[in-house]
Amino acid sequence: MTRRRVIALIAVAAVVAMPAQPAFAYLEFGVTAGGRQVTLKWPQANVRYSVSNTSVPGVTAADFQAAVARAFASWEAVPTSAITYQFAGFTSAVPGRDDGLSTLGFQNRPDLDRVLAATNYVIDSATGALVESDIFFNSSFPWSVAANGDPARFDIESIALHEIGHMSGLGHSALGETELRAGGGRLVTAAEAVMFPIAYAVGSTAGRTLRADDIAGITDLYPTGDTASRGSISGRVTKNGTPVFGAHVVAFDPVTHAMVGSFTLNAQGQFSIGSLSPGPRILRVEPIDDAETDSFFDASRNVDIDFRAAFVDRLVVVPRGGDSGEVAIAVVPK
Amino acid sequence: MRRSSTAAAGFTLVAALAAVEASAQPSAPGSGRIEVSAGAAWIGTQSYGAADASETTPTNTAFRLFSTASELGSAPLFGARVGVRVAGTLVVEGDASYGRPELRVTTSSDVESATGVTATEPIQQYMIGGGATWYFPTANRILPFVTGGGGYLRQLHDRKLLVDTGRYYQFGGGVVYLFTSRPDHGLKATGVRLDARAVVFKNGVAFDGGSHVAPSIAGSFLVRF
Repeated sequence: MTRRRVIALIAVAAVVAMPAQPAFAYLEFGVTAGGRQVTLKWPQANVRYSVSNTSVPGVTAADFQAAVARAFASWEAVPTSAITYQFAGFTSAVPGRDDGLSTLGFQNRPDLDRVLAATNYVIDSATGALVESDIFFNSSFPWSVAANGDPARFDIESIALHEIGHMSGLGHSALGETELRAGGGRLVTAAEAVMFPIAYAVGSTAGRTLRADDIAGITDLYPTGDTASRGSISGRVTKNGTPVFGAHVVAFDPVTHAMVGSFTLNAQGQFSIGSLSPGPRILRVEPIDDAETDSFFDASRNVDIDFRAAFVDRLVVVPRGGDSGEVAIAVVPK
Repeated sequence: MRRSSTAAAGFTLVAALAAVEASAQPSAPGSGRIEVSAGAAWIGTQSYGAADASETTPTNTAFRLFSTASELGSAPLFGARVGVRVAGTLVVEGDASYGRPELRVTTSSDVESATGVTATEPIQQYMIGGGATWYFPTANRILPFVTGGGGYLRQLHDRKLLVDTGRYYQFGGGVVYLFTSRPDHGLKATGVRLDARAVVFKNGVAFDGGSHVAPSIAGSFLVRF
């Protein structure tokens, strides 16, 4: 088997690079393999992982393993997703090595002063399938496994939940609000996706719960057999008649009050939001202005953030087992 | 031209009423075993309430992105009813109606100042059910009644992409005004029926799955056999 290590730092606090162009919603990752674009995902339903036998102040290896196990269990508990995870034991291996083990553990990376944790991949370059994925937690930050959080430390379970989303193939969601800090960086005001690229501040445990956007994303990657009960919305965003790349489109469910978002991801300004429960939706489109655009897309992509947030003036119906039909959304410059 | 047409229509109406006056007889409300009526109704707005689209703050409280208020708009309905007198002045009925109310969600208070909109969707609504009507005993042409019933609600979303079902219950009252009453003829009576009802909808397109009440008024042409 031909393997290619893809150097990817998909970080919670800041994103340094993206491995490839995103392909579809939530975001999922797309990789080019065998001359074609494929969605990055595990080929098998059960993913085995190991935990490094290392500890940091306040967190033993056993504490760490228990916290990440809870995070894995949260993803595994999504009833519409078929992926499962299995703890393969402690290891002396460390994350970031092409050793055939998917390893989670601490590494001291003071050089990455805004990166709490990161996930990388080993990908079969022939098929595009995931072969291995490691997650490192930056031990230059203070960590906690306290049940109610520690006001001076980051919560391992919350950050693990985000990174396991990456490990499973999910990219970042834009369902979050931030404000710029005087000293640089952004402070999260609120988020409605574990996969939002910026972490809650120290002490918060709000990131321990998967949201509708995360659930739709993992369901889209690893659907259970009951796909006929779910549907999708697709459409196109334009500004002055020109397609918009990188617009964030959010579907609000007036029944459950849940929100699921996606992006326009091609030169035609098209988007698709899949794995939605049937029913009407309010659509809202907004520019990506609550995180750096390279948190979502390759820096070379020309993401358009010069337009006003807008609602679609009709309810869009998600049919059972089908698609809404193209929804045309016209936005105006700021 | 318009004025002369109006005058002609008015004359015709007066002439028709005069004919009714001449032929109508005070009638026992129970005359005729089969009662058929068809006509139009108006059904009022059902509020589905307000809801916020919210995100979660670091302290697990809600942060509002925008607000919504939802309703199923008022609409005309067209329907028919068939009744069978089963005892005295009690009539057991089956009824069906069709209408196209509009589902509306109005957005406001957007965190990024997006202009609020009222997003709409046409709904095709079918109601098929039954009930009973009891006429107050009277010998007049005006027959007051009370009525109640319920049935099956079927609501189709835009372009029939999705179907929601539920139930409805209705109760109210009204009057039948008889134009003609000839107990010894095959067509025993003709008249108009005016209803005022409260209709309780359960499920269907309602966002909360709960019950919602809407007022309804109806007018129909009635014949008795």
